Amino acid sequence: MKVVTGVVGNDIHVVANRLIDISLQERGFTVFNLGVNTYLEEFIDAVIETDADVLLVSSLNGEAEGWCRDLGILKSKFDLSGVVFMIGGNLSVGEVSTEEIIPKFQNYGFDLVSHQSDLNEGLDELEALLKERL
Amino acid sequence: MSKILIDIGSTYFKVSQDEGIAQYFRNFERNIYDDFQSRCGDLLSRYAKEDVHICSSANGGLSTLIIGLTHSFSLKYATNIAYNAGINIIDTVLYSHIHEYTPPQEQIDVVIIVGGIDGVKNIFDDTLLDYLKQINFHNIVYVGSDKSHSFMQENLENILILDNIINPKLQVRGEELKNFLTNLYQQDITGKEDIKHLYEFTSNQIYSTPYIVNRSMGMMHKTFEVADPFILIDIGGATTDIHYSRDLVVDNIVSESEYDRLVFKKLGVFKSRDSLVFSAKNNEFVYELLEFLNVTENILEEHSDNATKILMQLSIFLVLYKTSLHHNLYINLQLEKLNSIIFTGGITKVLQFEEVEMIVKFFCKKLLHFHQIPSLIIDDEYKIWTLGIKGSSHVS
Ligand code: B12
Repeated sequence: MKVVTGVVGNDIHVVANRLIDISLQERGFTVFNLGVNTYLEEFIDAVIETDADVLLVSSLNGEAEGWCRDLGILKSKFDLSGVVFMIGGNLSVGEVSTEEIIPKFQNYGFDLVSHQSDLNEGLDELEALLKERL
Repeated sequence: MSKILIDIGSTYFKVSQDEGIAQYFRNFERNIYDDFQSRCGDLLSRYAKEDVHICSSANGGLSTLIIGLTHSFSLKYATNIAYNAGINIIDTVLYSHIHEYTPPQEQIDVVIIVGGIDGVKNIFDDTLLDYLKQINFHNIVYVGSDKSHSFMQENLENILILDNIINPKLQVRGEELKNFLTNLYQQDITGKEDIKHLYEFTSNQIYSTPYIVNRSMGMMHKTFEVADPFILIDIGGATTDIHYSRDLVVDNIVSESEYDRLVFKKLGVFKSRDSLVFSAKNNEFVYELLEFLNVTENILEEHSDNATKILMQLSIFLVLYKTSLHHNLYINLQLEKLNSIIFTGGITKVLQFEEVEMIVKFFCKKLLHFHQIPSLIIDDEYKIWTLGIKGSSHVS
């Protein structure tokens, strides 16, 4: 399975990105890592060029909302029906509850939303969903 | 035996011998060959054909249409490769929106189709074929996913299939396409009536001038006191080229080339003067700049030496502006990191050092908010071009 990953917007926190790359490879995924400072359009373009199964976006600096709001518009321009969209990291600024955050990002068009949670748990969830969809 | 180097430009011929460089303004009443023969025929007869090296930008280069799957990868990579191969005229079509593009009316020299890493299936269909039926092209080349090879071969006569320019890691792999385009340019020169006769004077390849200039970038430190990273701005009569070191770009192109090229086909002071003026009038900083230069906008309509100078100054400003973060181009340069700027081309014969410096100062202060400016080098002896052409003759 092919996964496109990277850190969205003007976000330079790179540590998680490296960990995600390694963890995904260990789990047998083919990884296309666009690194930090990646715009949503580039993510979508990478999914198209690679025919990826998953887009896994990270956001750490608190700007996720601003950078991901337009996912729905972008998704509507292309046929990306088979793709799983996932986002994780620190998805808001300050103390906002996970219960509030998850539906917001689901509304933007993400299938899986993981806020300040453990990476491995998140990736387990991803694999479970992919299995289900098969 | 010494060599003679010749550059056939859109406005000048330049001739370099051991004694120095001479420059001749083109006589547009005559074709290139006759004009050249009448001015330099005697001179050339003193050299053996293998000691004559010619490069040319006079034929305007190839016109290219790129059809690609996405802006961030296929179109961007192919555009980058084409510029580096010396191509000036590039139009792009985003395949998913192909029905929104009006097919070009003019003859296209080469159509490039690209999309997908190897292994990706079902990218192109009849929509592509329908679009291509409406255009008139000489060459067509496919450089996308291997899974579309048979579709292309079955449906497009004479299509050339080359290595995918997108490698399995989604990075650019440009060598094969670049070589193809460079060779096509040679064939184009050979095919163009007035240029093909130039092979009567030389037994060496006639290269495109931008290709030669790009080659000299790596040798620049031997001749000039440049500090990395630097850019080279070549302002001529028809187009303006920028050659820049890759250290100045933050993008997703992971390429092996150290220096890339970018072209502004509409910022020349002679052949594309009208579009330069148009572009200037629409720039938010230009009126302030004209005031800074102590002239009014009426100068843009004048045809005087002073007007030419001002236009050249404007063209420097616009080129810097268009590559800066203020302007959304397919590539942006981090000009705040710049340590040197080298100027070459016709501009060096018109502007004094101080006149160039003024503009760069204005740009740095206004757009980068810097009071320091990069070191400036004016290549008024056309050393860069001779460096590149000599370098290329060693290689070939
Ligand atoms: C190191 C660091 C920096 C370094 C970054 C160096 C670098 N190049 O990576 C520097 C100093 C440059 C920096 C800058 C900034 N930082 Co900082 N930084 C940190 C810090 C201390 C550690 C981050 C880190 O590397 N952690 C280790 C990695 C492994 O953990 P992680 O990033 O949290 O990722 C884990 C999970 O989130 C998860 N994960 C991540 N993505 C995804 C995706 C999915 C799908 C899943 C399932 C899981 C997942 O997996 C990872 C492993 O478990 C954190 C605070 C902290 N202790 O977390 C702040 C922090 C991230 N930074 C913060 C901020 C605000 C900034 C700045 C805006 C500060 C400023 N005002 O200038 C800038 C932003 C610059 C920019 N443009 O992005 C805030 C973000 C606040 C928010 N989101 O609400 C934090 C949380 C600090 C804080 N508490 O305020 N920062």
